[in-house]
Amino acid sequence: MSQSLRPYLDCVRSSLTAAICLENFSSQVVERHNRPEVEAQTSPELLLNPLTISRNENEKVLIEPSINSIRISIKIKQADEIERLLVHKFTRFLTGRAEAFMILRRKPVKDYDISFLITNFHTEQMLKHKLVDFIIQFMEEVDKEISEMKLFLNARARFVAEAFLTNV
Amino acid sequence: MLLLQYHNLLIQSILTERFSPNSQPVSIDQVISDFDNVTYHISTPESKTKILISLSIKCFNDLKKYGVEELLQREYGPYIVSAPEVGYDFSMVVDLEKLPPELDAKEALIEKIALLKRNALAAPFEKAFAQYDELAAEAAKSSLDLSVPEDSGADVMPIHYRDEESIFIKASHDRVTVIFSTVFREETDRVFGKVFLQEFVDARRRAIQNAPQVLYSHKEPPLEIRSVPGLKASDDIGYVTFVLFPRHITKDRRENCISHIQIFRDYFHYHIKCSKAYMHSRMRFRVAEFLKVLNRAKPEVAEKERKTASGRRFGAR
Repeated sequence: MSQSLRPYLDCVRSSLTAAICLENFSSQVVERHNRPEVEAQTSPELLLNPLTISRNENEKVLIEPSINSIRISIKIKQADEIERLLVHKFTRFLTGRAEAFMILRRKPVKDYDISFLITNFHTEQMLKHKLVDFIIQFMEEVDKEISEMKLFLNARARFVAEAFLTNV
Repeated sequence: MLLLQYHNLLIQSILTERFSPNSQPVSIDQVISDFDNVTYHISTPESKTKILISLSIKCFNDLKKYGVEELLQREYGPYIVSAPEVGYDFSMVVDLEKLPPELDAKEALIEKIALLKRNALAAPFEKAFAQYDELAAEAAKSSLDLSVPEDSGADVMPIHYRDEESIFIKASHDRVTVIFSTVFREETDRVFGKVFLQEFVDARRRAIQNAPQVLYSHKEPPLEIRSVPGLKASDDIGYVTFVLFPRHITKDRRENCISHIQIFRDYFHYHIKCSKAYMHSRMRFRVAEFLKVLNRAKPEVAEKERKTASGRRFGAR
């Protein structure tokens, strides 16, 4: 793991652990409703200060806490056209399966590639430190996966080109 | 499968089955598609022993200009039907009762018929190679310096073999240039295609010194074909140029070279599709892994069998 990745992930981990401190909270605006306040944005007093952790301008994490829910948005590194394409395909692949990933949001927040929404109902069902582990592992592996796919594409292209041209 | 085959496998297997001595003649009516919107029709309209094979290819009118009829006459002479089937460009009939008796000859015939598309498309290539021979002979006579590239009088031969894509062939005294125009339907294909083409361009520099030179230009048509009318200027078009040097078009390598260059577009797109499929399966796997990690966050509920004090089980009614 590179020099700057470790502190970045550590920082995200501790910020998340601190931010996932959720309780059940019914809507104060609509009776008998209970919705994630960070999405509803109806009562400013229930929202906490959003927090951005960035490794560089291409990689950052936005954490938006509120009383009963927290939204985590990740911007994945995209250095060139191929990586942009692969990230786009990959995130689309994930969001298409959002149903299975209980905490995944179908649509990322603007300027970010993928968003998660954790509510108090999730933290009641699942272990908080494991949820944090999941987010961290996700961030680690996405980068690895994208660069591996890119390497594979280049290797295949090279092999294919050489195989074609040696036979002419 | 790394390299694509030049022949049509389905035609080959149908004919092999029909030609085998202990098979009963049956009626056939089958439409077969091949690369580049080529369609074959194999049928037995008159009797079960007379197999009619028709070919429909988009660029037949182009090919006619480059002597495809003579070439097909040479290859399939005795089998050709003078009036092709309606809706098709070329037809031939093989009579099962008049097959050559030797096994080898039969196989050679099957092979030849399976290469129908390749042979049809080979006409302009053969013409270009013949032009090259002439020009090279002339150049040798007038003792031109062979290392200096010079514009030759030979025309560019365009073949509009797909709706939006074409092949251009131009002969010269020291090389034959084959240019493919390519259009990418999708953004993904375009990006992947760029990576692949870059490797095609670099391969010669890196590993295979005697490969033909490959050039790629995006949007801008290469100089050789600027004069050709009807070139579309759009953002998603690219041109791939193969420069075949004399060592690629020596007499004994020509046939192989024609087949191989022809198949370029199919090969190229085939591998783009393959890479996409691989990426897809890889993402599928990765997503399943992520899901496993997430599911670890759920505490396991110990599902113990419950019993009453007397030892009876609870059962579903």
